Amino acid sequence: MKAPRVFQLTALALVLVSAVEVGWWLFDQHRFAVDKVREMHVIYGQQVAAAQALLDSGTSPARVQMLLPGIIVNGRRAALSANVDRRLLAEERRHIAQYLWEGSFFIIALAACIAVIARALRAEARVIEEQESFLALVSHQLKTPLASLQLSLETMAMRPLSPQQARALIERMLSDLGRMEGMVTQILESVRLDRGRVDLRHEPVDVAGAVGRVIAGFEERARKDRITITAEIERGLEIVADPLALDVILRNLLENALAAVAPVGGGTITFSGTRTDGEVRLSVRDSGVGFRPADAARLFQKFTRLHPGGGGSRFGTGLGLYIVGRLMQLAGGRASAKSDGVGRGATFTLAWPAASGPELARAVPNEGSGPTADDAPREHS
Amino acid sequence: MSLPAEHTRRILVVEDDPHLAAGVVENLRAEGYEVDSVADGSDALQWLAGKSCGLVLLDVMLPGRDGFTVCRTMRERGDNTPVLFLTARGDPADRVRGLEAGGDDYLAKPFHLRELLLRVRAILRRWDWYQSASAAGGAVLRFGGNEVDFRAFRARSWNGIEQELTEKEAMILKVLAQRPGEIISREDLLERVWGYDVFPSTRTVDNFILRLRKRFERDPADPRHFLTVWGVGYRFMIGDEP
Repeated sequence: MKAPRVFQLTALALVLVSAVEVGWWLFDQHRFAVDKVREMHVIYGQQVAAAQALLDSGTSPARVQMLLPGIIVNGRRAALSANVDRRLLAEERRHIAQYLWEGSFFIIALAACIAVIARALRAEARVIEEQESFLALVSHQLKTPLASLQLSLETMAMRPLSPQQARALIERMLSDLGRMEGMVTQILESVRLDRGRVDLRHEPVDVAGAVGRVIAGFEERARKDRITITAEIERGLEIVADPLALDVILRNLLENALAAVAPVGGGTITFSGTRTDGEVRLSVRDSGVGFRPADAARLFQKFTRLHPGGGGSRFGTGLGLYIVGRLMQLAGGRASAKSDGVGRGATFTLAWPAASGPELARAVPNEGSGPTADDAPREHS
Repeated sequence: MSLPAEHTRRILVVEDDPHLAAGVVENLRAEGYEVDSVADGSDALQWLAGKSCGLVLLDVMLPGRDGFTVCRTMRERGDNTPVLFLTARGDPADRVRGLEAGGDDYLAKPFHLRELLLRVRAILRRWDWYQSASAAGGAVLRFGGNEVDFRAFRARSWNGIEQELTEKEAMILKVLAQRPGEIISREDLLERVWGYDVFPSTRTVDNFILRLRKRFERDPADPRHFLTVWGVGYRFMIGDEP
């Protein structure tokens, strides 16, 4: 990564020097044109003086005009022809205009080069920053369940345990492994969305069915954390979407809601789906920790992990909502978040353009297989 | 190895990961410690404002207030309870930040259970030693017009200035004062006060001695109490030595 950066910085420096040189060249050429015309004026001035001397010495005006063509003679007075004066002025202007056009072109071209290189450098700096955040995140987020896993195993190796204690430790270890697996899945999904072109299918999907399948996968965890999940979806509500992408979106939103409600000792999560104003909207409302309203826009950015106190969330990677936002964007829809403040719950809303009857008919028919939890949108490079 | 005395046996675990917190708490309880646990930096400070313990196991990345802030706030409040940082951020810069914030030791995640227990025991043993040594008879040290109260971590220097001592300064002073006139090596001081390979070199001890000289010597450049024994360590003199 360092060699190309050195190359870009060198190129930027060269282009900057070139731009300064072109500027200097412009200034120099302008000065040269003005000096040249001034010199011509001096030469013509000498010719006028010579013509006057010839006239004064008795040379005929016709002879003087023949010898010095730029000079006109009025009676016995020699003067510079108005045509010559105009020609000199026109010459000066022509040269200056020519240099200005050429110089401006080069300066614009160089400025464009500077802009392109500076943009590339900024983009690269952003990538490096993201990679560093990514590494810090991976190391921190994976090390915590890893530490818990190691502690459980060493406890089993070191201490005599009752069957109940051993069972509790095994459940904790399985849960830690599940957390790590979930994190790795999220990280891979985000990398895929960043780097690959995700090919989304367009199929009619029954919203209530998709929501129901995702809720079913989290029922046990919700029960443990004393969280009630309900769904109020309009009967027959359909969208044209990729069922696997929709599954990823819903899973991430539900994970997010569970993580927000668990710290307050339990509560509710409600899915509601409606068709309004040419849109299909699906909202996930929770009674969890909420967030500062000013943070709503940041939530869908990569690595954003909010907490009422400003710290990180308990298990989050900061990628779940980024994946939701990116997949909704690719599907032509949008995702938004709203909260009345810390401790006052939150609502996440997904909106798709409503599919008309013909659109639903044109869409590739659903092949009947619902999305599975481990699937992800297909990628092709 | 005997357990620390009753009053230092209570440990506060501040960890926001419920599984890790549960694992640490269960193991410490199995070792005979009395353990409380909180998951938030602000809750930890609230707990510490009302109760005392012999050790705080402190995660760095916490909701509410991070571990470094919690430790710094404790020290600002005059709470010298030993702090062992437990964190996934184990790079040297973070280690130094933790120690600068007033931490006593630093353990990177994932850690070995035996190492955690060993470090906990070592910190508590040192703390226990300090507290026993500072009880009744050894609570106050007077030398060269200075007066040090080990229990309050306060001192009044020869020029009447009131001083707040850090836990490490007080412990170094305690080790030196227990053996006046004897040569004490840097390694010995490091072992007695820090106990582990927390710091990379004995240079740290030298820095603490410089700080003590600035606090208690009339002329720190010509010390009369904290004498350097070249190539070995230090000798503490109660009376003014030429």
